[in-house]
Amino acid sequence: MAGTTIVITSGKGGVGKTTSVANLGTALALRGRSVVLIDADIGLRNLDVVMGLENRIVYNLVDIIEGRCRLEQAMIRDRKLNTLFLIPAAQTREKDAVHPEQMKELCEKLEQNFDYILVDCPAGIERGFRNAVAGAQKAIIVTTPEVSAIRDADRVIGLLEAELMKDINLIINRLNHKMVKRGDMMSTEDICSLLAVPLIGVIPESEEVVISTNRGIPLVHDKRSDIANAFKRIASRLEGEEIPIPTEIPGDSGILSKFKKLIWSS
Amino acid sequence: MFDAIRRFFGEKKSGEVAKKRMQIVLLHDRLSISPEVMEEIKNDILRVLSRYMEIDQKSIKVSLEKGDDYAALVSNVHVRRVYRHALSSPENAQKSENSA
Ligand SMILES: Nc1ncnc2c1ncn2[C@@H]1O[C@H](COP(=O)(O)OP(=O)(O)OP(=O)(O)O)[C@@H](O)[C@H]1O
Ligand SMILES: [Mg+2]
Repeated sequence: MAGTTIVITSGKGGVGKTTSVANLGTALALRGRSVVLIDADIGLRNLDVVMGLENRIVYNLVDIIEGRCRLEQAMIRDRKLNTLFLIPAAQTREKDAVHPEQMKELCEKLEQNFDYILVDCPAGIERGFRNAVAGAQKAIIVTTPEVSAIRDADRVIGLLEAELMKDINLIINRLNHKMVKRGDMMSTEDICSLLAVPLIGVIPESEEVVISTNRGIPLVHDKRSDIANAFKRIASRLEGEEIPIPTEIPGDSGILSKFKKLIWSS
Repeated sequence: MFDAIRRFFGEKKSGEVAKKRMQIVLLHDRLSISPEVMEEIKNDILRVLSRYMEIDQKSIKVSLEKGDDYAALVSNVHVRRVYRHALSSPENAQKSENSA
């Protein structure tokens, strides 16, 4: 098997990388793919709690790299999906405990046995970023419709292009359609024309995201959620399906849309 | 209501303001050109200009100027003589320069 390693990165912190990794990984596994999620945010481990797997951690990424355990021993199987695995970050180590070369080796090994390896990149453009991108053939940039996130995204795209990364796609997260409509938020088109990389999906701003991380169950499992469907569409696009990106996503307020949801979910 | 007041005062929507600002900021960020690339740009400019005029190859200066709402590439070259007819292609121009 020749799997694909995809790094999810952003430059700026807190824009939704970990959320995207958890939901995309889950969406791909729901499609029957074998998936490994690597938390490369050494020292600030988070993907485990978002996935609800924090109680199962014995070994971590640094243990694999320093040879304290076998690769399989540090791979935690998801609670619901048996083709989805997590390699957690070390919590009490520094980012320089790992070398880019070692990450590359690890990703190459995993590619022999899995369809997708998704790497959750830490914020910033230093060592942690270098490690996370080292083994990746593709990159997904996550940004929010805010000036600081967009500027950092542009910087990261520049760095990836300098490393000759050819396959770079964009997720716009936390889009607020109401604000775009009234002209107080940059639109999807605005952001795409600024960053000039292909758009692979738009995720609206939603309380549902917080609620699902509270529970430690990725939102993609919720069949009625608009956000879940947006992530599932991104997974389909990653697999080469051509699905148009809806410009108007139905709002989650209003009686009519609630009524529609009721019909659709039944 | 709020919108109407804003429009009355001719205030732009904040989304539009953000977009305009980002266009300039990203332009500036991306213009941090490495010395190697700058050298290539110089050579390319010389090559193109040599079709039309004889220039002092050592005199060329290229720099980036950043203003509040623009970025400009400024080049300064000393011209010795302008040809009556453009040479056929930049490559030929270089050859004739070398053989002269
Ligand atoms: N579409 C969304 N709507 C509402 N909240 C969101 C959305 N996406 C992410 N969030 C929230 O934003 C916060 C940051 O998200 P997340 O941890 O995924 O970002 P990150 O890029 O991984 O951050 P870091 O750079 O610190 O690793 C979380 O509290 C998350 O629940
Ligand atoms: Mg994160």
